[in-house]
Amino acid sequence: MASVKLTNVKKIYDNNVVAVHDFNLDIKDKEFVVFVGPSGCGKSTTLRMVAGLEEISDGTVEIDGEVVNDLQPKDRNIAMVFQNYALYPHMTVYDNIAFSLRLKKMPEDVIYSRVTNAAEILGITQYLMRKPRALSGGQRQRVAIGRAMVRDSKVFLMDEPLSNLDAKLRNQMRAEIILLRQKLDTTFIYVTHDQTEAMTLGDRIVIMKDGYIMQVGTPTEVFEMPHNLFVAEFIGAPKMNILKTNLVKEGGKYFVTPCGAKIEVTGEKNNLLAQKGVESGEIVLGVRPEHIVLANENDPGAIACTLEVNEMMGSELHLHVFSEDGTRWIVRVPTIDLTPEQREGLVNGAKLFITFEGKVMHFFDPETEKNLIYGE
Amino acid sequence: MYKKKIVPGVVKTVLGAILMGVSWLVAAVLVPKIKKSILTPYTYGEEGFWIWAIITAIIVIGAIVLLYIGIREMVSTAQYNKKVVQSGSYVKAKERSSVAIALSNAGKGIAKFFVGIGKGIADLVTTFIHGDWKTKISYFVMGFGNITRGQVLRGLLFLLLEIVFIVYMVIPRGGGYWLSMLPSLGKVAPNPHGAYNEVLDQWVATPGDQSFRILLYGVLTIFFIIAVVYTWYVNIKQNKIAESIIRSGKKLKSGKDDLRSLVDDQFYKTLLALPTVGILLFTVMPIIFMILVAFTNYSSINDGINNGLFHWVGFENFKTMFSWDVGGVNYSATFGEILLWTLIWAVFATFTNYFLGILVAMMINKKGIHLKKVWRTILIMTIAIPQFISLLYISKMFSLNGLVNGFLIDLGIIQPADAINFLGGNNPVLARVMVILINIWIGIPYLMLIATGILMNIPADLYESAKIDGASGWKQFSKITLPYMLFITGPYLLTSFTGNMNNFNVIYLLTGGGPTNPAASGAAGNVGYTDLLITWLFKITQTGTAQDGSQYYLASVIGILVFIVVGVISLVVYSVLPSVKNEEDFQ
Amino acid sequence: MNTNETTASMKRHMGMKAASRISNTIIHIILVLISIVWLIPFICIVIQSFRVEPTSMSRYLLNHPSIQFNWGFDNYVNLWKSDFPRWYLNTFIIAIVVAVVQTIIVLCMSYTLSRFRFKMRKPMMQFMLILGMFPGMLAMIILYQVLKDIGLAGTNAIPGLILVYCASSGMGYYVSKGFFDTIPKSLDEAARVDGATRAQVLFKIILPLAKPIVIYTVLTAFMGPWGDFVFAKYVSGVTPSAYNVAVGLQSWLATDTMTNNYYTMFCAGGVVVAIPVVILFMCLQRYYVEGVTGGAVKG
Repeated sequence: MASVKLTNVKKIYDNNVVAVHDFNLDIKDKEFVVFVGPSGCGKSTTLRMVAGLEEISDGTVEIDGEVVNDLQPKDRNIAMVFQNYALYPHMTVYDNIAFSLRLKKMPEDVIYSRVTNAAEILGITQYLMRKPRALSGGQRQRVAIGRAMVRDSKVFLMDEPLSNLDAKLRNQMRAEIILLRQKLDTTFIYVTHDQTEAMTLGDRIVIMKDGYIMQVGTPTEVFEMPHNLFVAEFIGAPKMNILKTNLVKEGGKYFVTPCGAKIEVTGEKNNLLAQKGVESGEIVLGVRPEHIVLANENDPGAIACTLEVNEMMGSELHLHVFSEDGTRWIVRVPTIDLTPEQREGLVNGAKLFITFEGKVMHFFDPETEKNLIYGE
Repeated sequence: MYKKKIVPGVVKTVLGAILMGVSWLVAAVLVPKIKKSILTPYTYGEEGFWIWAIITAIIVIGAIVLLYIGIREMVSTAQYNKKVVQSGSYVKAKERSSVAIALSNAGKGIAKFFVGIGKGIADLVTTFIHGDWKTKISYFVMGFGNITRGQVLRGLLFLLLEIVFIVYMVIPRGGGYWLSMLPSLGKVAPNPHGAYNEVLDQWVATPGDQSFRILLYGVLTIFFIIAVVYTWYVNIKQNKIAESIIRSGKKLKSGKDDLRSLVDDQFYKTLLALPTVGILLFTVMPIIFMILVAFTNYSSINDGINNGLFHWVGFENFKTMFSWDVGGVNYSATFGEILLWTLIWAVFATFTNYFLGILVAMMINKKGIHLKKVWRTILIMTIAIPQFISLLYISKMFSLNGLVNGFLIDLGIIQPADAINFLGGNNPVLARVMVILINIWIGIPYLMLIATGILMNIPADLYESAKIDGASGWKQFSKITLPYMLFITGPYLLTSFTGNMNNFNVIYLLTGGGPTNPAASGAAGNVGYTDLLITWLFKITQTGTAQDGSQYYLASVIGILVFIVVGVISLVVYSVLPSVKNEEDFQ
Repeated sequence: MNTNETTASMKRHMGMKAASRISNTIIHIILVLISIVWLIPFICIVIQSFRVEPTSMSRYLLNHPSIQFNWGFDNYVNLWKSDFPRWYLNTFIIAIVVAVVQTIIVLCMSYTLSRFRFKMRKPMMQFMLILGMFPGMLAMIILYQVLKDIGLAGTNAIPGLILVYCASSGMGYYVSKGFFDTIPKSLDEAARVDGATRAQVLFKIILPLAKPIVIYTVLTAFMGPWGDFVFAKYVSGVTPSAYNVAVGLQSWLATDTMTNNYYTMFCAGGVVVAIPVVILFMCLQRYYVEGVTGGAVKG
């Protein structure tokens, strides 16, 4: 249970490749922080620097107020779960979990109670005497978590722990990690490339790209107020619709003109734009698929489109459409909102109209890719 | 797993240019010889001339190929880099073979080394100026700073080293003495009958300078001095670091911490200490010594311990090795012929084993073959039996009185009087073919093992898709199996080629280098037709000429030349190989 | 289905089967021939070792119209009376010590080069690669002189040989490094996070997993001295009591007169030398195969 503070942390490899630029982050005690980003963005490297597995080229890492730069991993009092589980193949599950406790020279009876306790929580009691190779992927993952759990470590690090599991198991384990977190009540740093995991698990999310932090914030913040185009596109599935268009300011009101339509910016966004003093000009407009609705031809702001692909997801439809100027859109339509006749009409090549409300739009600078409202 | 390599075109081009130059030099030497050999009746030199001519031709062809490939690749690499820069994507550090890296980095390394030394000296000066008094004293008393700052263990070790060093340098017959003698390698020769002892009433030996020890301990002393200077530098560096740590208000590492880190983050130092010392003393030191010997006249008569001195002779020995006529001996031709045979032998020994080994492995692994384990075990058993037994026994089997002749006579194929001396007769070609054949017997089991391992690793879907595409058995072999094998075993092939060039045991135990080559009579070492450079080298150290004993200096010259040949071949092959392993990819 | 078509395809099928049966038969024959060729020398050496006559008559294997041999264990008895037990003991001592020390050194070296990333690592490996291109024979001359100088040649050749074999064994790190490279690094990391020092990682995690390569290293280190001929000959010089088996047995065949008198004893000696090594090798064959194939594929 401890805070973690990273100040100006850098990682430069021997061949002068910079993996992490100037990373600053303050992780509070008992917080669950998720590092997320595409592969090669430096998220794992940062985690490994916290763990002590990677040398810190510059800057400081503090755990619980103590600078740990020069400490060996064993002296940092951390626990870590690896992507490929890293179970010791020559030891039984029991020995795997007990390994760290034995290194601390704990009495065997204490070790026994701790290991069995952890095994019970994770539901692996009946496998304790097996070797890892006799376990399934999900069971191995539990053992790896158990190994990290039995130690009263200050920080719990997880490096893509679920990415080797199949989709169904991953969902299940995700839920279990949430439960585990409530039981352990300690500081978590969790690395993943999957934005769903990040959104569901994290108290705060750190989104990274090419070694830079793109945004730090709660799931709501990064979803609703993306600081830049990268975050906007990365968070949310299917990803946000992006198109170049013009922002027009007319008498204190803002309008966008996607594909010939003219849609007024409403709600708070209008005020915020005005506050920031944004003028007319070319912008990048972002609209999430779930915010687009099907419209009628004569509705204001209706954009004529042709349906290309219709993906039936069960509770909703993902419609891939393109408008007359060639812009591609993805539209998420809840199945329940459609009548059977409407659904039958949604065949490839069908003509339809889409529109969206003025309050759901995101505006980005085409040059800097920063959010015109929330970007810093 | 394996990456397509971006080959260092520069290295190849430079190498090609160098080889081109070498071939011109050789040709320049040859032109007068051509005239001479045309004018004079048949001499051994004529044969030698053709050998050199062939070697020159090979060098020229090699140089042209290298130049061509090198330049082409430089151009394409440049284009590639341009594209990468334009697209702005991230260029990964180029993967290259370690040899190529070693050589292409050599220049950079040397430059870096001198820059490093310069920086080091500048650092020393500034540290002295800015350091506190403890640091300043440490320039003269090593470890002083450590001791006064509480790092007693480190300090004492530094101090101990300094004391040992000073004592070693000043004692008689210590470092100072050896160093001072190094340029001359001794002035007074030891004499077995140097003085008359009246009590014993006989001439007794007088001690003199011992060139051998001077060279040996001189080299060791230089090693030692370099080590001490480096340690001295480290000592000062540590003072500097300690000062800055104290200034920032942190605690220095204690001796206990030091010891603890030797089993943890510095564990590699502990692990490497013993092996490195062993390699330095028993591999590096002898090699340096023997390289130096090539520039002296060290022989068993001038052995520099009991029997006289040896001294520096410059490039004299190399001149001997390359000259056409030294006291009636044509070393140049002898060397050329042995080199040629060494290369031929290495090519045959490597590739016959390689392909036959694969063939045997494929036969054993084929579907529908019974008793796979039995065949494999029979072959593997031959690996287990110490080679010297099988080699010696086989050499006796093929000798004049051997089983093979007995068998042939019994069958009535030959008459007892016509028994064939397979390995030692007057027939050089027969002997050479025999050693290659026997080497197949020796080598196939290894290759069978290796090939089996790799064949099992070839993904089955490759074959399945080939079958669906209608590939025949031969097509499957030539389009899948062989490329895959070559791809993976490329580096192995190279090491086994260079290994065969130095394959002492097979040649020496089978034929002892024989049959004797009359043309090379007079050259040191009793040269035979199956002698490799390495066995020739050995024989030179074993057999001596009357006036000079065993000519160790000639052996050294040959050793250096072998190194050059092996090095050049490795470099060329490595840079032409289609695949080079990137070690990090396995982890 | 058309009957004609069926029979045609059946015919084709049978044709293929017959072809593969023929090719398999041929391969079986070839394999038998190969086995014979590879076994003949060993069979002959065993047979000849039981021939009583010390004289060579090496042209004949078995009884022959022109010559009748006596058969018995005389050669083995004579071996016992000769210098051979001494040579055997020498070799055995060398092999045991070298197996232990060399294994430790090789494992240290290869583990370090596989697991640690330090500044001198790459230069060190490149340097050793270049060192390996020098013919080892060259170093022997000087090493012999040095050993002679410190009194470890001739009668004291055994400790001298052990010293040299062990000292330079760090160069042979290649195969086992290849093996260590295949053990996932995340195991080390997990253990270090769990609180293990680097030394504990080596002893508790890596070594138990590296059993095959440890055995391979021990096996090759043990077998090496049994076959080493050149350097042993060099160092022991003219002192028969310091010979190893290779030098000793070779001395029995060195000249024609020697061959005539000692030929069958040489055969018996060869058998006695080969038996323990072969037995050991066959027991540990699995590991050897793993090492060799791993070394070539990964190295």
